[in-house]
Amino acid sequence: MKQSKISNLLRTEDWLSVWIGVIVIALGAVAVLTGWFDFSTLKFSQWTVGETLSAKDAAKVVPLAEQLTDWLFWKKFLTTFLTLAVLFGAGVKLQGEKLRKFIPAFIMLFVIAFVVRMVSAEFTLKRYLEWAFWALLIGLLIANTVGVPKWLKPAIRTEFYIKTGLVIFGFSILFSNIAKFGLYGLGIAWGVTPIVILFMWWFGNRILKIKNKPLLITVASATSVCGTSAAIATGAASGAKKEDLSVAISISIIFTIIMMVFEPMIIKWTGMGHIMGGALIGGTVDSTGAVVLAGNALGPEAEQVASLVKMIQNLLIGFIAFFVAIFFARKVDKTGKSEVGASEIWTRFPKFILGFMGASIVASVIFVPAFGAEATGAINKVLGQYKDWAFVLAFTSIGLDTNFKEIAKSMQGGKVLWLYIVGQTFNIILTFAVVWLLLSGVLFPVPDIKTFADKEARINAKKEAAAPVEQPEEAMDLEAAEEAAAKPAETTVEQPVETVR
Amino acid sequence: MKDTRKIIYRIVTVTMAVAIILLAGFIMIKQWGLVEGYDFGGGAYYYIDIPGFEKHLPPDNVFTAKTPVWVHVVLFFAWGWLMWRLWLWLDRRSEGEENEK
Repeated sequence: MKQSKISNLLRTEDWLSVWIGVIVIALGAVAVLTGWFDFSTLKFSQWTVGETLSAKDAAKVVPLAEQLTDWLFWKKFLTTFLTLAVLFGAGVKLQGEKLRKFIPAFIMLFVIAFVVRMVSAEFTLKRYLEWAFWALLIGLLIANTVGVPKWLKPAIRTEFYIKTGLVIFGFSILFSNIAKFGLYGLGIAWGVTPIVILFMWWFGNRILKIKNKPLLITVASATSVCGTSAAIATGAASGAKKEDLSVAISISIIFTIIMMVFEPMIIKWTGMGHIMGGALIGGTVDSTGAVVLAGNALGPEAEQVASLVKMIQNLLIGFIAFFVAIFFARKVDKTGKSEVGASEIWTRFPKFILGFMGASIVASVIFVPAFGAEATGAINKVLGQYKDWAFVLAFTSIGLDTNFKEIAKSMQGGKVLWLYIVGQTFNIILTFAVVWLLLSGVLFPVPDIKTFADKEARINAKKEAAAPVEQPEEAMDLEAAEEAAAKPAETTVEQPVETVR
Repeated sequence: MKDTRKIIYRIVTVTMAVAIILLAGFIMIKQWGLVEGYDFGGGAYYYIDIPGFEKHLPPDNVFTAKTPVWVHVVLFFAWGWLMWRLWLWLDRRSEGEENEK
């Protein structure tokens, strides 16, 4: 019995994804904290197909040909491939599969993932769609045109890559952000989110009669929490099918593009204040990048508030995924009508979620207090690259393993689209109501938000917040000296006019 | 009558889906919503996906919470527990109704 438990720890996909994730996190942390080695992965710089860009944007573009003819680029390609091949290859071998079938298949999968990353680094495509969309599309195009050869299938391990990516992702979910916007942020982010999820659960079940509950909860989570990241975590936790995850993410990405542009326009038209407008954007627009841009369209204060609310929502991913996993582990099957006992729940519980939560706890409770938010952020910059590669491999695998008919079937005759539309509308209305209650100044004082318009002021403010306050050497007036020491440095900067396209 | 409603539903759904995709495509072509100098857009799904996220996200002292952190944590778990119970109740209720049918 004991031997089989140890065997499970070393041979099941769930546990292996945890160990691989832990290894990547450990290596990333050592690399960043010590500087002994470079653990960063291959990354494309932005390139264009000839769009007209401003001088500022054009300065950051590197022509694709230049990137592909740089030997350092290919050196990075090799080290990234070898790192991923060794990690996932070891995982596959321990699961009892043959490496001689996996390795050639993984080489091909990596090449396709490389193409995905290249395409999604294009200036416009990167800004609006990024890798998840292109991984699915390119995989689907290959699968539904030339077809997927049998020898490629050993590397198509969607769940393995997703679970590993999620464990690494967990390190970036910092619970220490919970009080970043005080009770205002908690009320807007955490007060609203579960109500929207439950509303969509009820609406999808009772009104739309969607029987596929993992799909239901994945769409609900994507709508109410933070789009793609939440969908990946919740989809994996609920055991959603790959085509369900694809549909949930695609809908979220497309609506994010629309909301990013039109929500600030509507907010301006209503004359809503910047703080309220920013909070509404933070609580409703799905992706963090879109939240920052949409908030920026209203002004620096709105951008700050929008980001604050979204950062709190981001930390909900772990808890929601955890409880979704428990909820579905209770069921006999995904549409089951009876529940099981505690020991059976443990058997069914997806163990990678423990790695996911564990990574978050370690980052929040150990790394941030011990090494500071800046160092933890630097580690997450490196780990984020591995997370992205794991997810790109996963989504490419989904595309390669799916056909258009299965995707169309997942749309449930359009019900999923209506689920998102109604759910997001409810999300906007409820968030607005809570934002009004908390931030309008009618019931509670309007929060005092310091705005840091330019990047340098923001970085300096971060450093000042982290640094100890200096005591004056001669305190003639002890009271004044204590007040001066207690007061945080204020560096509010006038906002130069940002050019918004 | 039921067939007519089904046809109307299908027409409205397909029209909506096509309109949304076309609108998203139009926004991308026009590059609406982007900010000059910001190397990201809606494609940055999570905060660590934003290049140089530490420069864009608010520093810790942008807002000073008056309530201690432990109050936030307690409220967080209390609300979460309530919502979890509500979810279980909703699910059992809908199962009960399905069993009756």
